[in-house]
Amino acid sequence: MAIAIERPRIVARRARRYRGRRGLGHVLTYLGLLAALVFFLGPFFWIVTTSLKGNEDFFAFPPVWIPAEPSLAHYVALFTRSSGARYFTNSLVISSLSMIAALVVSLPTAYAIARWRFGGGLLSVSLLVLRMLPSIALIIPIYIMYKMLGLTNSYLGLVALYTVVYIPFAVWLLVGFLRDFPIEIEEAAMIDGCSRLRALVQVVVPIIAPGMAVVALFAFIATWNEFLFAIVLTGIETKTMMVLVTSFTSGGTDMFYGEASASVVLGVLPAFAVAFMLQRYLVKGLALGGTKG
Amino acid sequence: MRGLAIALKRKQWEPLAFASPSLLLIALVILFPLVYSFYLSLQNFDFSVGPEYEYVGGKNYVEALFKDQRFLGSVWNTAVIIAPSLALELLLGLGIALLLSRATRGRPIITALLAIPAMVSPVMAAMAWRMMFGVKFGAINNLGRQLGLLDVYFDWFATPWLSIVSVVLVEVWHNTPFMMLVLLAGIQSIPQELYDAAKADGARPWQSFWSITLPLLKFTMAVGVMIRLIDLTKLFGLIFVLTYGGPGSSTETVAFNTYLVGFKDFRMSYAAALSYVIVGGVLVLTLVFLWMQRIREAKAG
Repeated sequence: MAIAIERPRIVARRARRYRGRRGLGHVLTYLGLLAALVFFLGPFFWIVTTSLKGNEDFFAFPPVWIPAEPSLAHYVALFTRSSGARYFTNSLVISSLSMIAALVVSLPTAYAIARWRFGGGLLSVSLLVLRMLPSIALIIPIYIMYKMLGLTNSYLGLVALYTVVYIPFAVWLLVGFLRDFPIEIEEAAMIDGCSRLRALVQVVVPIIAPGMAVVALFAFIATWNEFLFAIVLTGIETKTMMVLVTSFTSGGTDMFYGEASASVVLGVLPAFAVAFMLQRYLVKGLALGGTKG
Repeated sequence: MRGLAIALKRKQWEPLAFASPSLLLIALVILFPLVYSFYLSLQNFDFSVGPEYEYVGGKNYVEALFKDQRFLGSVWNTAVIIAPSLALELLLGLGIALLLSRATRGRPIITALLAIPAMVSPVMAAMAWRMMFGVKFGAINNLGRQLGLLDVYFDWFATPWLSIVSVVLVEVWHNTPFMMLVLLAGIQSIPQELYDAAKADGARPWQSFWSITLPLLKFTMAVGVMIRLIDLTKLFGLIFVLTYGGPGSSTETVAFNTYLVGFKDFRMSYAAALSYVIVGGVLVLTLVFLWMQRIREAKAG
């Protein structure tokens, strides 16, 4: 995807700048980075290999670091015995719906702020404060209200909550993209008889689509990763992957590794994809709490 | 002139119309529940007792702030987890960002790979590490045994002190990449000319680090630390999976403690009061953060 490219010109310039002083410092730099890679990716390596091990390999000593005969048996068990397929689908459906809803609702608001400075600085700051609001403060009244309305253990309840909780973040990022958008194109469309809304949908949206994709991916991953709302509000049918995973912890420190590791692999899959697709936007997105629901 | 006035007037409803769907939803799903929660915090609503409740004034707040040893303990635990986590995340993040800024080849791919932990959910991070910490079959104990360093039955969550260390380790693994990304962006925005000039004046690398990189990175570091600090006050999923607050209540954070009060003891009113105490704390931190942003912008402009 196009948004994954780090400004190549700057990279090339820096490369030129440093060329020619490859010495001991160079070797040490890469040794340090290698150590960092081992530390930060090691757990993923362990989880992936564990999920592919046969049952006897768990108990082997010396430990089996790379299984000789990788098998997908644990994934099959997860999908059938532990209803993993259902919960994986739940996560996908809930995250996708919340992502779409959050975009649709946030875009006009972001437009109002970017074009008309709607609400002045106050609205922007209030949105940021809302973004910092701890979920624990929201889940207590929401739980009681959902209980009264019969919205616990329902997709609607979860999707509505995730959508709204995500609006402040989506608006913040979208305002940035809209401000970069040349107002002349839109004005030209409106002179040709387009209404504001039509200009937004038919002229602005296609051009800022890459920016919207960034917001969408952050919204998706944030909903996918969210845990507190999910554990409180989901029931047996509506559990997400995050809730499923915690059900494997009941076996104490040495729990049943096979299905647990398989579910972790599936649970971190979107993070891997998004980390590569959003490289350029990671700082901004993470700083605003993009991955936390 | 009259036409213009009418045009202006006609357009005035437009911003409001564009903004209102999300503002209405926020009012309905965030603001109203928060007001309701404040109302609840002044009652004695307890699901385990029954649906009836009555007004008790500030009693819940008095209990939370002055009597509830478990909650006050959780404030202390949160602070004890936050302090070393922040320090380590800052130091490690700075170190790796410096290494990355010196890397000539493969920087984008290495950066993306190192950023992955920050993208995964705290629950998944904690789950992966639980399997790393496993007493008999975990990677750490097995590796230690293979290298002859560790007894295989080493329990990484045996004592309160050790549990805190393990939680901090996982938290540092999880969020150092964020600090690294922020600081890398900061380092890359420092003009190379400054270093060239320093070099021409005969400065050694560590001298230019102390007198150029660090001073110019101060605000970036402060903002990074502030964001992590605010996020760390919400620490929940990591604790839920790694220790469930144990042993005893030694790793209970404020968010986890409030969760237990609300959804294990079902003391809804008291949990609402606790959550307001937390909101107060986070609000103060957020305002400090905004104030710092403003100073930064003032300095930059």
